[in-house]
Amino acid sequence: MKTMELPQRDERNSTQGDVVHLPLGLLGFEQVKNYSLLTKPDEEPFMWFQMDNAPHKAFLVISPFLPFPEYQPDLSAADVEFLGLTAPQDALLLTIVTLKREGGAVINLKGPIVINQRTLIGKQVIPNNACDYALNHPLPVS
Amino acid sequence: MLVLSRKLGESIVIDGRIRVKIVRLEGDIVKLGIEAPSEVPVHRQEIYEEIQKSNQEAAADQSVKVPRLSFAAKATPAP
Repeated sequence: MKTMELPQRDERNSTQGDVVHLPLGLLGFEQVKNYSLLTKPDEEPFMWFQMDNAPHKAFLVISPFLPFPEYQPDLSAADVEFLGLTAPQDALLLTIVTLKREGGAVINLKGPIVINQRTLIGKQVIPNNACDYALNHPLPVS
Repeated sequence: MLVLSRKLGESIVIDGRIRVKIVRLEGDIVKLGIEAPSEVPVHRQEIYEEIQKSNQEAAADQSVKVPRLSFAAKATPAP
């Protein structure tokens, strides 16, 4: 399934504070199944994907389309089925940001988090075309 | 590690619900067909490890200072 038609996320429909269920967890964090998606006004467009069992631990996330409008992850049929996606606009895409110790930031375009906005079920997917994208795509930050 | 010999077209079954079939042999490449329930994640090991490592590096404390996107910063003129 191509996701290029995905609209920009509508802030009026913000899922702020919603609990997202990841039945498989994130890779390397398989035991953590529930996350809260939080926004803080002074940190936008970044958001926090916060572990429910360890509230101080979180992933900084951002929509991949904001820094990288041409991003077109091709989701496998198995992932589309797993997430119960019936229309591209059901999917909210987030990429995980790594803040580098030496300064700067990168986003992981190989393993985006896809959330079904109707059911709030999510998964970290590896798109069919993951080889076209970088694990450490530089993010222009200051 | 359990080592089994299989011919082209033959399969193994794991836990009664995961089927791994030898689909094709091309030189030193073996193509595997994997049938597994949707709750069983299947990944190439190297990409799995890469993303796992990236996630572990990304896990942060929310007290960290969040940077600003530079192109967003450009929209606001410096005082």
